Amino acid sequence: MGPFGRRDFLKVAAGLVGVGFGAACAPAGAPVSAPGAGPRRLDVLRLDYAYYNPVSLVMRRKGWLEEEFARDGIKVEWVLSLGSNKANEFTASGTVHFGSTAGSAALLARANGVPLKTVWLYSQPEWTALVTLKDSPIRQVADLRGRRVAATRGTDPWFFLLRALDSAGLSQRDVEIVQLQHPDGEQALLQGQVDAWAGLDPYMAHAELVAGARLFFRRPGWNTYGTLNVLESFLNQYPDIVERVLTVYERGRAWARQNPEELITILAEESKVSPEVARKVLTERTAFPEPVPGDQLKTVLREIVPLIQKEQLVPAGVDLKAAIEALVESGPARQVLSRSASR
Amino acid sequence: MAVGDLKAGGFQKARPARPRKFIRLGLGAALPWLLPAGLLGLWVLSLDRGWVQPYQLPAPPTVVSTFIDLLSRGELIRHLGATLNRLLAGYLLGAAPGVLLGLLAGSSVGFRRFLDPTVQGLRAVPSLAWVPLFLLWFGIGEQARVYLIGLGAFLPVYLNTMAAVGSVDRKLIEVARAYGFGRLKVLFRVILPGSTPGVLTGLRSGLSLAWMFVVAAELIAASNGLGFMLVEGQSTMRPDRVLVSLFTFAVLGRGSDTLLAALERRLLVWRDTLATTQEERP
Repeated sequence: MGPFGRRDFLKVAAGLVGVGFGAACAPAGAPVSAPGAGPRRLDVLRLDYAYYNPVSLVMRRKGWLEEEFARDGIKVEWVLSLGSNKANEFTASGTVHFGSTAGSAALLARANGVPLKTVWLYSQPEWTALVTLKDSPIRQVADLRGRRVAATRGTDPWFFLLRALDSAGLSQRDVEIVQLQHPDGEQALLQGQVDAWAGLDPYMAHAELVAGARLFFRRPGWNTYGTLNVLESFLNQYPDIVERVLTVYERGRAWARQNPEELITILAEESKVSPEVARKVLTERTAFPEPVPGDQLKTVLREIVPLIQKEQLVPAGVDLKAAIEALVESGPARQVLSRSASR
Repeated sequence: MAVGDLKAGGFQKARPARPRKFIRLGLGAALPWLLPAGLLGLWVLSLDRGWVQPYQLPAPPTVVSTFIDLLSRGELIRHLGATLNRLLAGYLLGAAPGVLLGLLAGSSVGFRRFLDPTVQGLRAVPSLAWVPLFLLWFGIGEQARVYLIGLGAFLPVYLNTMAAVGSVDRKLIEVARAYGFGRLKVLFRVILPGSTPGVLTGLRSGLSLAWMFVVAAELIAASNGLGFMLVEGQSTMRPDRVLVSLFTFAVLGRGSDTLLAALERRLLVWRDTLATTQEERP
């Protein structure tokens, strides 16, 4: 044996294991990495913004949140979400405190153990449909059998696709679902690399207006609202901050309803689409109704419960009805609205 | 503190004891398991203490039950099959020309000057930088993935083969020539056996690169495969499925490498080197 003998090695190994456990035992009771935990004071407030959440674009552009939190010395940071799946990852990992998803995506995350709370509805959109090229032979959902369809797993368009397949007596095994993030899905469709695409606005409107893509299957009622979610721990720890953010969201909603033209300009500039595309999205397919999440959201979510079970998207034994009840949190939004009404 | 106890009590006491060899043997057998066991302990402990949330890192039993569930539903086998298929196809597509061109470039100066600068130039491109180009050329489909894996496997196989041929002892070739061996006979009797160790090293590192590329290929626009399971688990908030896929990758990668290592030992029994003698007397 060399100068560093076996016995020495054993000692080092034992030492390492010991140190590992020592370190593990040290911060007992003080959670370090639990998202949203930590000191009572919040230094940085992190939100996502998304092209599918127009009000977030307005708030970011206008700097209202920065204004609101400047007096507390709380910095505001914005992170771009390219889809509900990304927003959920950000929220679960603590990258953002407020994430914008579809209701279906929030439910999936909740059912899979992420303690999400939907505290606001930022829009009621018809943001998804099944899209194909102008001269494609695909006319109806049944024509998709054996075809290649682009979709982003864990998002509303994906749920929409599964539900459409189900309604035509097909399942996800009968088609090849190619995993592509929404903008990449549009590209793949336009380049003919996939036969169809479960689209998302504004990309979907872009494909329609620019390449004449055809929405061959639409069901406005199958879209599951735009939901703003926080972690339970964040809501419990900072209820005041949640309400202040929602107050600004309410300001954004009111502004969006009063300034449709400027809203079109903002969406077009931010998401790099033409004003015509933005106009189509905002005037034909987006509404900003009553934002308190409640029965309206629960109803659309209950409709997808059988689908989630049939496609085994959550572990067996998860109570989806209970997950819906646990997800939808109307308290803070109700507070905010009653306060703004009394003002 | 635990460290002190272990040092003072555990190991030093064992020193003067009688059945030293036995303890040594026992410890020796346990040694490789210490770190995994420690990590597993840390995993359980950090969940227990709430340092990480189960939706970020699910508990070991959850992962095991997910594994069993995926297995019983045939989903894991389906993804595994898809991955192994394209890995094998891509690997053969890359390794076979790698060996052939490596042999040629190693034994012929002219051919080396013709081919090698180009390959060295290609090698300078970080391999994953090819992905967008491959997607543009071959579209989203099996072709792009298999070619990408092939490219990953080709480079190390080619480079190692060429180097191995270059390092064959020239005196051996001269002896063979003196005995009247023709070109082909020299190739098969001297150069090929002499370069086998290097070629096998190349094949092994080619395989490990092929594994890397199979993940890269399946992360983009796939609809099946273990790499796809990673993305799917990520998108649908199922870290347990991500972990199952990861462990499967680890087992397969290690397994295929062990297989090649066994082949290497078999093919190289004639060698009298430190490595082979050490393996005989562990």
